[in-house]
Amino acid sequence: MSCGDPHDTDCREVIAEVWMFLDNECDHQRRELVQRHLDECSPCLEQFGLEEHLKALLARKCGGDHAPDALRQRLRQSIREIMLSQAVLGAEVTVVRAEDGSVVEVSTTTVENHAWLSTER
Amino acid sequence: MAEELAPESLDEGSQETPEQRTARFERDAMPLLDQLYAAALRMTRNPADAEDLVQETYLKAYGAFESFRAGTNLRAWLYRILTNTYINGYRKRQRQPVAQPSEEITDWQLAQAAQHTSSGLRSAEMDALDRLPDSAVKDALSQLAEDFRMTVYLADVEGFAYKEIAEIMGTPIGTVMSRLHRGRKQLRDMLTGVARERGFLRDTEVVS
Repeated sequence: MSCGDPHDTDCREVIAEVWMFLDNECDHQRRELVQRHLDECSPCLEQFGLEEHLKALLARKCGGDHAPDALRQRLRQSIREIMLSQAVLGAEVTVVRAEDGSVVEVSTTTVENHAWLSTER
Repeated sequence: MAEELAPESLDEGSQETPEQRTARFERDAMPLLDQLYAAALRMTRNPADAEDLVQETYLKAYGAFESFRAGTNLRAWLYRILTNTYINGYRKRQRQPVAQPSEEITDWQLAQAAQHTSSGLRSAEMDALDRLPDSAVKDALSQLAEDFRMTVYLADVEGFAYKEIAEIMGTPIGTVMSRLHRGRKQLRDMLTGVARERGFLRDTEVVS
């Protein structure tokens, strides 16, 4: 149904595209057409306003949860452990010491071990 | 589900040590933890499952991080792992009846091309929606069928583009658009209903 006033672009077309417009998914040309229509058709503009409002409402009210600190700590810990186990499994470290015990050379040969990567997805 | 979580290998000559990789992961991926957790909460609808899901997601991501190409979209990549992990594991475990509404992707435009409703009512509806507490909006979102819920969440809360959502969810863009349309429409109807129940909107003001 149209608002009855003559427009270059029919109201039905515009209403069907309201979400694409709001989601910033229209190409430049469509965007201009829809914009022009909204400028001259107040019923469509109101519809647009309501949908825009709903989108903003969701963004405002449905996000913003914070991950528990314990989870963050646990993850950091797990990642460190994996890294260390990988280093143990995957690298041959050669340490050359001087007679007084000080380290003069450390060479690392990395043999990448990917076994732990192949977790089921 | 076939997927390529580890698409390309790093350029030759840029061999990273595990320490460097871990540092890069902590620098780039860890700051997204809150967002991923929020998304997991919307998926699983309970904090304990959300924590488990996020933990599994991050460990997988860390495991595959060696092959993650710098410069590609890390956030979308993490969400994809999250979504896959959820679909392949948690959803089965949760044993929730999964609503699978039909998804003819051609009818959404027609459905949306309804008539204008009379003006004056719209501002009442907007005001009523604004007065709803956060929990009511979250509840309404959580009642949407899973595919609709995630699509709406990714678009409206996380601001992903259709193309990114299609990649994250492994569906064609047309399906993303269809889910968005239906999801938003249902959500609006639901929220209007809640607003009416709570007396924020009189029956005569309801716009359907």
